[in-house]
Amino acid sequence: MEETHITTEDFMKFREFFYRKTGIQFEDSKRYFVDKRLVERIEATDSGNFRTYFTLLRFQSGGEELQALTNTMTVNETYFFREEYQFKCLVNSLLPEIVKKKPVDSTLRIWSIPSSSGEEPYSIALYLTEYWPDIAHRDVELISSDIDTSILKKARAGKYSERSVQHLPAVLLQRHFRRTHDGEYQISDDLRQAVEFSRVNLSEPADTRHYRGFDVIFCRNLLIYFDDLSRQKAAEAFYDALNPGGYICLGHAESMSRITSLFRVRKFPEAIVYQKPEAR
Amino acid sequence: MAIVKRVQTKTVDSDERSRPRDLAGLVVNLEAPNATARRWAVRDLAQFSEAVPALVERLEIETDATVREAIFMTLTEIGDATAVQGLVKCLRSEEAALRNEAIEAMKHLPDAVAPIMAGLLADPVPDVRIFAVNILESLRHPDVEKWLIEVISEDSQVNVCATAVDLLGEVGTEAAIGQLEALKRRFADEPYILFAADLALRRIGEA
Repeated sequence: MEETHITTEDFMKFREFFYRKTGIQFEDSKRYFVDKRLVERIEATDSGNFRTYFTLLRFQSGGEELQALTNTMTVNETYFFREEYQFKCLVNSLLPEIVKKKPVDSTLRIWSIPSSSGEEPYSIALYLTEYWPDIAHRDVELISSDIDTSILKKARAGKYSERSVQHLPAVLLQRHFRRTHDGEYQISDDLRQAVEFSRVNLSEPADTRHYRGFDVIFCRNLLIYFDDLSRQKAAEAFYDALNPGGYICLGHAESMSRITSLFRVRKFPEAIVYQKPEAR
Repeated sequence: MAIVKRVQTKTVDSDERSRPRDLAGLVVNLEAPNATARRWAVRDLAQFSEAVPALVERLEIETDATVREAIFMTLTEIGDATAVQGLVKCLRSEEAALRNEAIEAMKHLPDAVAPIMAGLLADPVPDVRIFAVNILESLRHPDVEKWLIEVISEDSQVNVCATAVDLLGEVGTEAAIGQLEALKRRFADEPYILFAADLALRRIGEA
């Protein structure tokens, strides 16, 4: 069988198209990575060559192949303290701004979606507990949602592999986790009870309409897997869920500016986040 | 103080949803003085395709960007021929932001836009023809290349052809080669057309 080959012009065409659709830009240095995945998908779809595959990618009415390709072009894994700079941004920049504006007896509200198996919401809980001194005199409500009920069950259980916790400082691992007999790590009951887990489909307005009054939303590495319309719907839901002046943190390859003009870009020393404008 | 749990999530403020949430009540709420109330009315109207005329009418006078964006979202969700007609109306607006938002919305509606695409590409106003090519940029429809070839074969306006040839550089196949060569002859004095057509030909040749 003839080997599938991606020419430089193919790569250029694909790069422009993929950037426009997803906002992900591949430098020339990523050529091998991109070519390898393109060839994989060309073979998986029996397209035979780049041209046929590119036509499928561009014009398939449901966009399933673009989604499949996006999934292979992005790395989908989660672990404690992933993209930690955003948690630093939360405790060093976002929360100090928010508490200045909120009465001291009001509760701060954070929404983490998707919860996946819980690494992100528990990382936020850990960060607040360990690195935000104001937790001593402020109440924080931490809600985490996912569309998948089985993953929510796993999140509530709070049991993790060594790989999941490998980026946690040893002192935190010792303080907040217990080693189980099967070699996994069980998160403490205090942290488990700190997070409220719920099932939410972001594309379903009936699911999201009651999620209101949040000060910060974390939605990282999810929108990249959505089609354009679903992404816009999610952005609308986040806008309505946030308080005026509230923040949303996306994954490093995602940009709210490419989805909607509803939010302002805010550059903090630790990270770029998006802010719902203050009420006029 | 600590991380606390509350069993119920915060509910929608009652004053934002004070009117009956049927079609008539929601349409009345499109005139509400509060932008948040208008935005909610727009979002809830997504379940009523009969609301399209009222939404398009509101679009023409709505000044709040968040409400406008919700109207485009709702029109896209409804996505029928009437909604598309409303979006086409926006293409003729003097306001660039409104036109761009309409183009973006129409890109999501290949089935509803396809039947009117030939008409848009033959519109007497060159700007509308350019916007139609802009819609093709991300329209998932098998006729995109055919429409672009027709544009570069027939359109007399250089800017319309330039927009189409740019896109052919991405989606063009051997089917476009003859008309790309013809375009170069037709606009032999236009350096940009020559450059863009050569780039498209090179990409087609090497693909």
